[in-house]
Amino acid sequence: MSEWLATFRRGLSIENPLTILMIGLCATLAVSTKFEGAFFMGLAVIFVLTMSSVIVSSLRKLIPEKVRIPVFIVVIASFVTIVDLSMHAFIPGVYNFLGVWIPLIVVNCIILGRAEAFAYHNPVRLAIADGLGMGIGFSMVIMLLATIREFVGSGEIVFLGQKLVALPSAYQGPGIMLLFPGAFILFGFMIAGARWVTWRREGRVVETSQHCTIEEGAS
Amino acid sequence: MSRMASTPARMVLAVVVTCTASAAALTFTYEVTKDRIAEQERLAREKALNEALPEATEFTEMDENMLVSARESAGETRVDAIFDAGGAGWGVLVAPRGYGGPMPMVVGVDSDGKVTGVMIITQNETPGLGTKIVTDESFLPQFRGWDASDVDTAVKAFDAISGATKSSGGVRKGVVAAGHIYEEVLSQTEGGSVP
Repeated sequence: MSEWLATFRRGLSIENPLTILMIGLCATLAVSTKFEGAFFMGLAVIFVLTMSSVIVSSLRKLIPEKVRIPVFIVVIASFVTIVDLSMHAFIPGVYNFLGVWIPLIVVNCIILGRAEAFAYHNPVRLAIADGLGMGIGFSMVIMLLATIREFVGSGEIVFLGQKLVALPSAYQGPGIMLLFPGAFILFGFMIAGARWVTWRREGRVVETSQHCTIEEGAS
Repeated sequence: MSRMASTPARMVLAVVVTCTASAAALTFTYEVTKDRIAEQERLAREKALNEALPEATEFTEMDENMLVSARESAGETRVDAIFDAGGAGWGVLVAPRGYGGPMPMVVGVDSDGKVTGVMIITQNETPGLGTKIVTDESFLPQFRGWDASDVDTAVKAFDAISGATKSSGGVRKGVVAAGHIYEEVLSQTEGGSVP
């Protein structure tokens, strides 16, 4: 069970898909203008990632290596379409906001990446841990990003038609927070923050890839 | 780990089986959700129609011939449907392009050719900037009272929202298209009755 937990926790911290692996950023920056959208995007990604990891992992001995990518894509696309239709039927407001980004989960690097890098080589039990961990790690970051962007940029946070927090209407937020440049700047700070937290907790800088490393003591 | 060798037969089998299973799952989901999706779309449309034409009590969709000639008058703006509101006028469903894709909306025109209201059904504009076309209280009402039979003159009074020029312009295009449809097609029919 400790192996399960360790796999699960990797997605949240030292292998977080957004702040450490930095994959799937396109959709992240686009839908994080609204907390509501980010919340349901997170749920959609958790569902698709976990389910496709389970299927890929349980069929891993039956899928010939040469056709694995087409099979992964079909499996992922099916789950994405299920999410797409269900969202359209039950939460139309959110569906309209997320728009094209729901179908685009099919080509989100996180999901295909985890199917290829993890689920195809590991038992179902661990694939579930990886899918959930990566999905929740993704959701946490995107929701935090969206909370800050929506609150600072438009002065209120609306969730399913309810205003959760609102500043006086005289507040004129900096519009840049709602546009891509603001998202990039904020996201840069979040990466730095995530690194700092990991560094404090682990007592070292975790190096996960060659092209984005921080020297010991640089922070 | 023993992996299945990639012989042609096995590759074809794997892909065919996966696709079949996927098709079955999707058919099932589609069947379960399609009625609700159609219902949601109908409700959203009805709500917008009622708000754009507050005087109207019932709406009947106009036939395909009308739509074809309306599309010719609308130019490049997409026309989804036209509803006849009895004697109260017409609701024109257009979907002009905003900053974030098409914005389906209803333009209400009464039988005297005055715009009664504009309601946006769905939009995907930038929150806080483009969405002001919905949240700004003086933007959508400005179209009320425009003369649909001479919309090219009326449009000179148009006031866009700063910072949301493209979104505002999209709404303007939609109203202008609806005006042209009124001028060239609807005003030729008998005062709001079904032709």
